[in-house]
Amino acid sequence: MSARNRLRRVMVVIALGAPLAALLLSGCATTSVRAFQRERLTDRIMTFQADASDAARRTKSLEAREGSTGGNGGAGGGCACN
Amino acid sequence: MRVQLTSKTVGAALAAGLCLSGTVTARAETWFDEQTAGCLMQYFTDSDHVAVRSAIADYTVALRKASIAMHYNNERVVIPAIESPPGSQEAVDAITTASRPISGNAYSDFVKVRNEFEGSYRQGGIEAGYYYSGESDYIGQQVRASVDRDLRGDQLNVSVGASYGWDAIEPVQDDDTNTGASSKKTTHFNVVATQVVTPSTMVRVGVEYNLVNGLQHNPYRNVYAGGTNVPEQHPDNRQRRDLFLKVNQYLPNRSSLKINYRFYNDDWDIQSHEIGTRLSQYLVRGIYASYEYRWYTQGSSYFYRNEYATVNGIDGYRTGDYRMAVLASHLFGVALDFDLEKLEVKVPVLDRMGLRCNYERYFNSNNYSANFLTTQVTYRF
Repeated sequence: MSARNRLRRVMVVIALGAPLAALLLSGCATTSVRAFQRERLTDRIMTFQADASDAARRTKSLEAREGSTGGNGGAGGGCACN
Repeated sequence: MRVQLTSKTVGAALAAGLCLSGTVTARAETWFDEQTAGCLMQYFTDSDHVAVRSAIADYTVALRKASIAMHYNNERVVIPAIESPPGSQEAVDAITTASRPISGNAYSDFVKVRNEFEGSYRQGGIEAGYYYSGESDYIGQQVRASVDRDLRGDQLNVSVGASYGWDAIEPVQDDDTNTGASSKKTTHFNVVATQVVTPSTMVRVGVEYNLVNGLQHNPYRNVYAGGTNVPEQHPDNRQRRDLFLKVNQYLPNRSSLKINYRFYNDDWDIQSHEIGTRLSQYLVRGIYASYEYRWYTQGSSYFYRNEYATVNGIDGYRTGDYRMAVLASHLFGVALDFDLEKLEVKVPVLDRMGLRCNYERYFNSNNYSANFLTTQVTYRF
């Protein structure tokens, strides 16, 4: 592997990892949101889970037409044939 | 069959997505806190006249301290006839977006049926699942597991997941290619963190890594290279990684705005960006509408060329797959959701139901377009 490729991979790892680390660290600074303050967060128009099935079906369909994948936090097996 | 560069299916991704998303607000929002059943019908058509009908059933059994989820999908895919002799350049072009063998009477539609099943077990913050997909020339299987924990007083949830998939590929008879039986193995890891930022804001960030080994090209596709048709050939190994960020913001007047971004790259030199937005608005109590837009762009793989001067292509690889080329796409969607319980429908059975209708229009820079129409019914026990 060339030095350029190694550098490139390091940059990719940093690019992928830095935002996650920043988020985790930022958790220390956020104001605590208590359970009784989460009414809006549990509304169906706000939850991540409400879109999960749509996102999963779309991922399957679009990865048969585009060169990338991901974004749902999970992987599947088999053939995406649509 | 269409052979994917990575193997993903709706069943596994759905369950994984639900598993992960169910951890957002921890105790305040548990996905499996009730027994549910649902069915979904999706119709797909595109500008190449490929048609897919998907019939999906989901059932979740709530146990005392655990839950079991089951998913079944039956799909019927119709790929149109090839309007030119096998082996001709026209025939190659005709199958760039939907693969089919060219054997016998290629002038008739090719129909195939796929069945998917997935079962998963969840207890506490641990989930494990198995997935199976079967069709005439492709069998995919996968096992997966994930663990998630609430941290910082339930302000933060961190999930770690992994899966291993193994696919058996046995191309049916094809007159102009002779690809033998092959296989593909996919190893996947992900880390996802979800943070409650304010009473109106949630943020999720995740990284994913896929290592794919095995057949990753279309065994039925020929590529015009060096003045003749030769079988498509992609590398056997591929490392794929992505980072995604999602922000959900509650807005005044009972609406919400969701924004997501995904960055992807792999060692085939494809790099992509995706930005999506969704605005949801309650029309009345129990009914809300959603409007969506998605923009996507990608670069090309290092072995993609419009024309290959020799049959060896680039480093021995050659492709006729437009997904390996520079590409941009747009997607618009609109959906309507009904919660009959909140609509206070005073009819037994109906007051436990939810309905959803969704339409999406997709088009990309290859003059390709597609329509998705989905209807869904869910029932809470």
